[in-house]
Amino acid sequence: MNLNPFWSMSANTSRKRPDNEEQSGHGEQRASPARLPFGKKQLPAIPKNATPITKPSSTGTPAQSANGTHASYGPFYLEYSLLAEFTLVIKQKLPGIYVQPSYKSALMWFGVIFIRHGLYQDGVFKFTVYIPDNYPDGECPKLVFDIPVFHPLVDPVSGELDVRRAFTKWRRNHNHIWQVLMYARTIFYKINTTEPLNPEAAVLYEKDVQLFKSKVVDSVKLCNSHLFDQPKIDDPYAISFSPWNPAVHEEAKERMFTYKRRPEDHHKGTQVSGLSWVKPGSTQPFSKEDSPPQS
Amino acid sequence: MSWLSRLNPRGPGTRPGRSAAPSSPCTADPETCLMVFQNHWRQVSWVLEQHEPSSSSDDLTAVRNHTDQMLCLLAEERPAEVSEGGATVTQMGPILELVVTENILECLVQWHIRRGLDPDSQGALLKLFEMLIGQSQQPLLQHTAILHPLLRLLGACADPELGCPSALENSLVLLLNQVCVSMARQPVVLEMLFRAAPAQQGSTNLLIFSLLVPFIHRDGAIGQQARDALLLVMAASASHEAVARYIAENSYFCPVLATGLSALYSSLPRKIEVRGDDWHALRREDWIGVSSLVLFMNSLEFCNAVVQVAHPLVRSQLLDYLHNGFLIPVMGPALHKSSVDEMIASTAYLDLFLRSVTETSLLKTFLRFILLHRHDNDTILDTLLTRISSNSRLCMVSLSLFRTLLSLNCEDVMLQLVLRYLMPCTHVMLSQRRAIRETDLYGKSADKFLSLIPECCRLSTGPSAERDDDTAFWGKVLNSTSTESPAPHRPSTPSRLSFFIRQQSSGGSSGGGGPSTPTSMEPLQSGAPGSHPLSPDSPLSQHQTHIEFLDWDCGYLEYLRDARRGIELCSWACRDWSAPYDGENPSPNMAPPPPPPPTSNPSITMFPEHFSFQQGAGTNTPPGQQRAAIVAAARSEWSSSERDSGEWDVTIGKNNCISLTPRSKKRSLQREELLPKPVPPLVPSSSSSAPPLSASHPTSSPSPHIPTSAITVSYQAMYNGTVGQGDSCLDNRDRGLEVKKVKRDLGEQQYLDENANQNGSLVSCPSQSCTALPHSIFSNSDISDAKSVRPKQIPPQSSITLQTSDTHNAPSDLPETNQSVESLIEELLEQAPGDSQLPGDSNGQGISIEAFTQELRELEDRVNERVRAVCQQEETIRESLSAERQEEEQTLSLVSEAKLTGDTKGDSSAVGVCSPARLLSQPASQPYTGPFMVVLFAKLENMLQNSLYVNIQLTGIVAQLACYPQPLLRSFLLNTNMVFQPSVKSLIQVLGSVKNRIEAFAASHEDFPAMLKKAQQYLVARGKVDWTDLPAAMPTLRRSDSLVKSRKPSLGDLILRHTNSPTRARHAAQLALAHVRDGGQSLHSALFRGSGGGGGASGLEKQAEALRVKNAVYCAVIFCEFLKELAALAQEHAVTLPFPHSQVPEE
Repeated sequence: MNLNPFWSMSANTSRKRPDNEEQSGHGEQRASPARLPFGKKQLPAIPKNATPITKPSSTGTPAQSANGTHASYGPFYLEYSLLAEFTLVIKQKLPGIYVQPSYKSALMWFGVIFIRHGLYQDGVFKFTVYIPDNYPDGECPKLVFDIPVFHPLVDPVSGELDVRRAFTKWRRNHNHIWQVLMYARTIFYKINTTEPLNPEAAVLYEKDVQLFKSKVVDSVKLCNSHLFDQPKIDDPYAISFSPWNPAVHEEAKERMFTYKRRPEDHHKGTQVSGLSWVKPGSTQPFSKEDSPPQS
Repeated sequence: MSWLSRLNPRGPGTRPGRSAAPSSPCTADPETCLMVFQNHWRQVSWVLEQHEPSSSSDDLTAVRNHTDQMLCLLAEERPAEVSEGGATVTQMGPILELVVTENILECLVQWHIRRGLDPDSQGALLKLFEMLIGQSQQPLLQHTAILHPLLRLLGACADPELGCPSALENSLVLLLNQVCVSMARQPVVLEMLFRAAPAQQGSTNLLIFSLLVPFIHRDGAIGQQARDALLLVMAASASHEAVARYIAENSYFCPVLATGLSALYSSLPRKIEVRGDDWHALRREDWIGVSSLVLFMNSLEFCNAVVQVAHPLVRSQLLDYLHNGFLIPVMGPALHKSSVDEMIASTAYLDLFLRSVTETSLLKTFLRFILLHRHDNDTILDTLLTRISSNSRLCMVSLSLFRTLLSLNCEDVMLQLVLRYLMPCTHVMLSQRRAIRETDLYGKSADKFLSLIPECCRLSTGPSAERDDDTAFWGKVLNSTSTESPAPHRPSTPSRLSFFIRQQSSGGSSGGGGPSTPTSMEPLQSGAPGSHPLSPDSPLSQHQTHIEFLDWDCGYLEYLRDARRGIELCSWACRDWSAPYDGENPSPNMAPPPPPPPTSNPSITMFPEHFSFQQGAGTNTPPGQQRAAIVAAARSEWSSSERDSGEWDVTIGKNNCISLTPRSKKRSLQREELLPKPVPPLVPSSSSSAPPLSASHPTSSPSPHIPTSAITVSYQAMYNGTVGQGDSCLDNRDRGLEVKKVKRDLGEQQYLDENANQNGSLVSCPSQSCTALPHSIFSNSDISDAKSVRPKQIPPQSSITLQTSDTHNAPSDLPETNQSVESLIEELLEQAPGDSQLPGDSNGQGISIEAFTQELRELEDRVNERVRAVCQQEETIRESLSAERQEEEQTLSLVSEAKLTGDTKGDSSAVGVCSPARLLSQPASQPYTGPFMVVLFAKLENMLQNSLYVNIQLTGIVAQLACYPQPLLRSFLLNTNMVFQPSVKSLIQVLGSVKNRIEAFAASHEDFPAMLKKAQQYLVARGKVDWTDLPAAMPTLRRSDSLVKSRKPSLGDLILRHTNSPTRARHAAQLALAHVRDGGQSLHSALFRGSGGGGGASGLEKQAEALRVKNAVYCAVIFCEFLKELAALAQEHAVTLPFPHSQVPEE
């Protein structure tokens, strides 16, 4: 337990919080020209699957991948498992959370989380997810905030979030990375002080909420003051923020909102119009009679 | 709209005459022209005014000459431009004004008509008018003074009795075309034409239209001009309700168009000249030289265009007529023709039509016909489905048609073909329904598919090379993918690559280009290190093979990319479907029970064998029906195997079936005549044009453990798609009947003998009298199909009794029994009740033989389970060699016993295998995944016997199905962890069975690795040759050519590419042969070594064997690629994002 009572309270007061998550488009811009726009943001319910379990996890031996049968294809499996996880993240449309796998390793994802209300309102926390290389048979991924947020479950030195309490044993097929992300979001809305990584924060929350709150505000400020810093990890796909620049961001924003995904090499010549004359709710062919030509 | 723009080359502004006019030298002073014109007119009117119509040719000549001059002047006159208050207004030129006011043209035409129009002057007038309308510098037709005489002239051409004199047709159509062109430019003309007094138009309201209609289907330029003109009318009338109504209600346009198609169809060739063994569909190059087909396609294209541009009234009427006047009365019966040639032709035509039609509503009409129309109680779809199971080119053509259907991504088609059977979810265990929506997150299914790659196909290098291989491979990956733009929804490719490069902890190259040159790359697959090290002593050959293998083995990334593309395109195309088909929507409970398997279809009785295996339950069919079924089945088998294997008849001939021998000789002669210049065969030694065999099978095989059964059967199908095979279909049918007669006349023995010999199973059975009845009627593989599924379908009780009684008879006949099998049998015998009946007597069905063999198979499976303990319980289909052989021997002896009990037994046992009557008795509650899946799986299970091209087609179709994102379909095909109901065969089971067969085959051929290598080299070479001229290749109508672009020379596109141009394919094959000629030789020689043990084997038989081996070796190659393809699809499904529903139909 790293106990650090000297959590800097001299938070930078510059609160140049980015207007919105569109800022994050900048980082992506470098990476890939177009990405899927995420869905409407709204606060979800706490994910059920992420119920914390307080049993200490057994340090599982990093077993070799179970897909050992065909060694030459093994890398494909890992890669595709991670891709599939990423696809799930996209499908979940997690509110206020953005992730992007690193350029250098598919096992490292950069992310940022926007807190819209509550104690941590206006917080913009960048983080990095580290996935064990024996995924999905290893332990749960690690999630480390770039700047240690003042929070009972965040290590005040390393910035690592206590993920393992929620995923005592990482079970393939049941546990997914989006749940980790969801969990990271949840802690900012529902404070849990049991077995804290940051006892100071836990104690303050229990005993002196006002002080806790002010520390949180300072922490949020600190984080936001470093928002435009260079990414901690030098990676082309690391998420970096920059002040709003209409010349750059308007266009990117526009593209994000107007983007319509098409198949990769879809061209007009191919007839893939998706013929269907089935009336919704019916299972009969040609039940939808919009233009009945037959007698 | 391209059609219209093509029709309208001269838009109002681009009219060459007009734009060229100002500088034209002949544009003289308008006043002078007017004076000249008046001068001519004076002289003409002098003639015209003679009250007595003179018959003198002088008059006529004079009038003609003057008229020519006058109309030329009129045509060249430019409209007068008067500026009124600053605005320039165009007015009639002075000549036109004169023509209008004096009604000059009317006078002229009247005079001609009064005088009696001879064709000569009529033609001259038509030409004049055509010139005038086509070249006039100013709009003319809106003046009644011009329009009415024109109509009068045209009316004279539309003699109700004589029609238009043929000499005038060209001029007439050209004139009409010009009229329509200017009408398209001035819509008001249409209105005027429509309203013109009937006096001018004769009986019809729209004379030009009625005049054009007879030329709709005309050949050549005249037909094209007429169609173009009509299309202009259609387009012009699209917004003109009255005209549209008139066309729909008062003209014969739609019926003529539709019934004309019928007439044109009936003149199409009944038989398509077969060109190459890979031919399976009509491409443009194929039909462009067939005039009747060109004619038909022109008219069909015209229909398509009319549907595109016409008023909804006209469109729906046309579609109606097409459906009821062409599809139902003509296409329907054509597809049900009894001759296989005609079936092939009509199926290929339908496929071509479907590929050519682009208008959605026309396509809908076709699909509606295929899916819903019942011909003789069966939908067209059912009929087509049954054709897949045939063993001929008919199968290829049918597969091609289904490929076309699948490529439409049409919900209705998929619903009828597959989804309605899967919707109730009865095929999965109740507890598994949840899993339908799951995706293969961790590559489990992919792993399972890849694990089915037979060990014998994993060519490997030495273990030391492995690491380097991987490095090089990933280097190549890097190379190939870093150039493409990153996919929108996934992390960057480079990151993944660098990740893996890091993981390999070798070759520290990061983001740059590939570190290795192609020559340094080595095969990716190194599954079994050291098992087949390449010969180290010849570096050159090693070098070469490495390159070749690289091409062959490293294709997995390509498969992944193809899979992604395929899935994305498919899910995009399906985004507007009415339901997700995920096992919940539509609700399984709401789904109507899927229709029972098709009933009493003549086509089914033609090809029953592949339907048999899912018809496990016993029947109470009346004996007569059974017999009929047997005859039909026998006939079909005889005919189909006949179709496929040239030497089949010879095997018969060897055995005392006298009636057949001469015919086969005759046929063989025919065949030779048919092939003066045989298409280059794949492997020269095993030419498909080989004359039929005339010798018997070897009476003993060199090694008793060579699995004869699984393989020997195969050659019934291996001639699939060989040249000239279709010729003999009718013959075959007859012969099939003859067989029956023989059987009746000479007794069963003979019949059996023939067939047993054909089967090749006599190797182990020296006595001619002990014959395998079921084998005799059906190939072994068919039986194994039947058997392998039956245990799950036979009601438990009956199957048990059968088994016990069978096995009771069995043991004495087990000469070479695998130890464990033996013990299992003994176990079983101990449990068996004492009553020993002859197999046939145990119940009236007499399915004892299969029951027995099935039981044996189960035993064998259990042995396998114990030994391997690897595979799942469901894989009961495996066929280990020894047991297979054993089983056969037992079967033989059993039959010989059974034979004593009487004639009927044979029949009934055959029914047990194959009776189409089972189709009727399929219990409705039995989970049934639909005829399409059943027939595909059956065909797939038979891969080892299929020809290369059938397999390419077949695997292409399954892969195409596997692209569909609907969870019901996806889980059924690709989720290898799903537990299905016992009666439902899964794809993985089928593939497992194929794997076992391949391994059995490989084990029996010691030079299999070499042959496999050659086959791969051949396919690679062939693919390469094709690639080189790919840019010139024409993409098919709806297939994205990009598919072809990047694909390794492996699967479906091989055939796709080939059929783009038969000539090119042949050329490619030739070139490829030059590369691998020695490969062919070795394939060939291998066969001689392998099978030529018996002294009596003739060269012909060796060739047959060579073909059989060739098919098997190619099958092994295709199979491995197919597994990679499926694995890639399974993986890509997990990372594909769905497309949102499009609110407005796009494009």
